Amino acid sequence: MKKSDVVVIGGGLSGLFAAAVAAQNGKKVTVLSYGAGSLTIGGGIVDIMGYADGNVPFATPIEGVKNAPEGHPYTFIGEDTVKEAVEAFKKMASAEGYAYQGSLDEMQWIPTAVGTLKPTALVPRTMDVAKMEAAKKLVVVDLAGLKDFSAPMAAKNLGLLFPNKTIETVKVPELEKSGRDMTAFDTARLLDRADIRTMFAAALKSKAGKDVCFIVPPILGTHASYVAFDDITKQVGAPLVECAAVAPSVTGIRLRELMLSILRKQGVVFIEKANVCGNIVENGKVVAVTTKDFGRQRTYRADEFVLASGGFYGAGITADQENVKEVVFDLPIVAPARVEDWTNAKMFSDAKQPFAMIGIAVNEQLQPVDAEGAVIYPNVRVVGRNLAGYDFCFEKSGNGVALTSAYKAASLIVKGGKA
Amino acid sequence: MSKHVVNPDLCTACTVCVAHCPVAEVVREYRGPKLSGPASERLRLLSPQDDASLDFCSNCKNCDISCPSGVPISTLNMKARAKMWEGKPEPQGRKMMAHGEQMGKLLARFPGAASIVNLGMGLGKSLGMMDMVGISSKAPLPSYASTTFYKQFKSFKQKSFDKKVVFYPGCTINFNQPEIGMDVVKVLQANGYEVLVDEEFVCCGSPLVVGGYLGEANENARKNTSLMNKWRAKGYPVITACTSCGLMLKQEYQELFHHEGMDKNAENIYDIMEFLSMLDDEDKLNTNFGQVNDTMLYHAPCHLRAQGMGLPALDVLSLIPGYRIENAAAGCCGMSGSYGMQANKREISLKVGEKLFNRIRQAGVKSVVSDCGTCRLQIGDGAKVQAIHPVQIVARAYAAK
Ligand SMILES: Cc1cc2nc3c(=O)[nH]c(=O)nc-3n(C[C@H](O)[C@H](O)[C@H](O)COP(=O)(O)OP(=O)(O)OC[C@H]3O[C@@H](n4cnc5c(N)ncnc54)[C@H](O)[C@@H]3O)c2cc1C
Ligand code: SF4
Ligand code: SF4
Repeated sequence: MKKSDVVVIGGGLSGLFAAAVAAQNGKKVTVLSYGAGSLTIGGGIVDIMGYADGNVPFATPIEGVKNAPEGHPYTFIGEDTVKEAVEAFKKMASAEGYAYQGSLDEMQWIPTAVGTLKPTALVPRTMDVAKMEAAKKLVVVDLAGLKDFSAPMAAKNLGLLFPNKTIETVKVPELEKSGRDMTAFDTARLLDRADIRTMFAAALKSKAGKDVCFIVPPILGTHASYVAFDDITKQVGAPLVECAAVAPSVTGIRLRELMLSILRKQGVVFIEKANVCGNIVENGKVVAVTTKDFGRQRTYRADEFVLASGGFYGAGITADQENVKEVVFDLPIVAPARVEDWTNAKMFSDAKQPFAMIGIAVNEQLQPVDAEGAVIYPNVRVVGRNLAGYDFCFEKSGNGVALTSAYKAASLIVKGGKA
Repeated sequence: MSKHVVNPDLCTACTVCVAHCPVAEVVREYRGPKLSGPASERLRLLSPQDDASLDFCSNCKNCDISCPSGVPISTLNMKARAKMWEGKPEPQGRKMMAHGEQMGKLLARFPGAASIVNLGMGLGKSLGMMDMVGISSKAPLPSYASTTFYKQFKSFKQKSFDKKVVFYPGCTINFNQPEIGMDVVKVLQANGYEVLVDEEFVCCGSPLVVGGYLGEANENARKNTSLMNKWRAKGYPVITACTSCGLMLKQEYQELFHHEGMDKNAENIYDIMEFLSMLDDEDKLNTNFGQVNDTMLYHAPCHLRAQGMGLPALDVLSLIPGYRIENAAAGCCGMSGSYGMQANKREISLKVGEKLFNRIRQAGVKSVVSDCGTCRLQIGDGAKVQAIHPVQIVARAYAAK
């Protein structure tokens, strides 16, 4: 492989977005990814910052960013960069025909599969909660054969949340015979087909009317486009709102398709099944990373490197009884000294989990630093879930930190150094 | 010997593979990679289990490509399936397709036999005889060339060079598309390499594994490995031009078998396009190309994507003046070796390939480039376009000078 300007390690949201931003600004980018990244399971809804310590929700996402606790990635990504990143992401998505809505100034409380609400910031148009809030009657779609979604339970819980609204369910017969449990993703694939959409819409139509809003699992098409959604909405004659649901994640798969399509248009080289496990350093700078799987070791040279390997969850950081290890550059990991201290005894308590905060320490330029704060490799930037100091699951900030740190890393690279 | 342990416990049940399996996408009776692979393997380790669903797996490896945890899902499927089929009656078609090399070798001995068999297969198809043995009469079947690659190679006058490589043609190129093998030779010659062949090499064994003949595949692996050891000792790289052969020789051998030297050989085997791309990296590629004024679409074989080397054909072809090529990026073509040739899989196979066919039709190109022989068959049939190997374009560009 010829030398690139930038090599990105990891094909999750942070890696893909960093690659897109760098490529958009004229950089020759190569993405190395082992596995498809957590978008497939994690979801394409962009949380920025939902909850403060003690499980208290922030009024707006930007409030969350401003009040991020000490050591949190937002404190060194910076409020301005967060704003720019959100704008850049929305612009990119919209140019591809799959616009996101929402902003840093308004918390979106979206319904979940069990009929509770969760705070987030940017959502696809299929999750326009304003429509749900404005409706007088919510009709939860009860699709025969669909697993991981109980319409009666969702309806019951929504009833508790919205005592002034009428809550109903509507039964939809199985859309196509199936020999296995149908996931939301299987159903979304069916609804990619126009004939199935017509069947589906017909089943909803009887309950449609003024002030009605349908609540559906995320099934309105698998593609990063609103073709299926718009078609169904038009045929039903009332708004539909998708709720957040379990893996495989339809919204995440759409977002991945969106990002990959952008990368292709920008000529980014995307290498699958590239198991990055080593590096070459010359004069204190990384000059290449290496991959190895079944065959030869392969070398990928570049001027700049973005480490977007997903931390613990994405396998960028591994742990055994004695050692926590970052697999590519062997960067130091910030973790509680004793493994016993990694978990909060109260698993579902209102406090963050120490193990979730484990990650790589960086400076304001997202360069990895050692215990004394000295930069280890000046041309490596660490992004996404690799970063230490936040519990994405508890505070609801996963894709937000991924997007904004990726944007910062790419911008620094494009500007050729300091912000 | 192989450090790649086939361990189902690597699986974290994340379901990523399920979302990326093209067969599970179109066949709702298929339980998908996670359940048929690692999840069932845990049960199978306790007691033998029959899983009829395993028959659906095409060994396309999209599950392996998407898995973040390195679970060799498709190989778990192939091993479990072979075990399940053990001692049961062998369908004639499955046996035939697993042993294509035998047919090829037989035909090569009698002048004119190939055309008679091609005619016979055509007749068999039209009389429904193929369907009777389980081979689809609607599928495009590879036709046999009148002169094998090895024969053509013998009568080709090469320039002698110090730098030498060994070319492993595999069954498809040797018996069905020798012209591609000859282009490999010409292109390597144009880059200052003398090409050797070794007629002792046997079929890589990929069709045998899919057909459940693991014992025979192991024999082939043993034989090829010892020959490859010999060439490696001489310092000669081995070149392949079929991505399924390449994957089998480099990766699946290590997942399935234990023969001394397999892992080292994996480092010495190069796909032809990768080899050219590496020459280019070192500024050693002969780029004295003539104009090729054409626009084509590229289809990346799944068995190439599974090798973690990117898409070297695109790197090389983009150097040719006048020539434009774009990655179709439309997923699996559906053929996956002989999967799409089976009578009870043809329909599934075409459904899987639909996205790719549509993409090709929309692009309005007349030719599609792909490194895999069975992908090319499927594309030719499904999208009604000419399908060629990337090295053929390179050869054309040299010839145009
Ligand atoms: C179940 C679940 C639900 C979630 N829901 C939401 C949600 O609704 N909203 C939200 O905002 N966030 C959500 N998150 C969090 C969010 O998904 C992540 O925080 C964010 O996407 C992380 O992105 P990343 O790019 O840093 O990491 P990842 O997506 O994990 O990507 C890491 C990538 O690096 C690759 N990689 C790792 N090691 C190597 C290596 N050595 N060589 C090559 N490649 C390597 C991995 O295979 C992967 O492709 C959820 C997470 C989970 C698990
Ligand atoms: S090899 Fe292909 S068909 Fe088989 S489980 Fe994996 S993705 Fe599915
Ligand atoms: S992708 Fe890998 S880890 Fe995830 S369910 Fe499939 S086999 Fe298991």
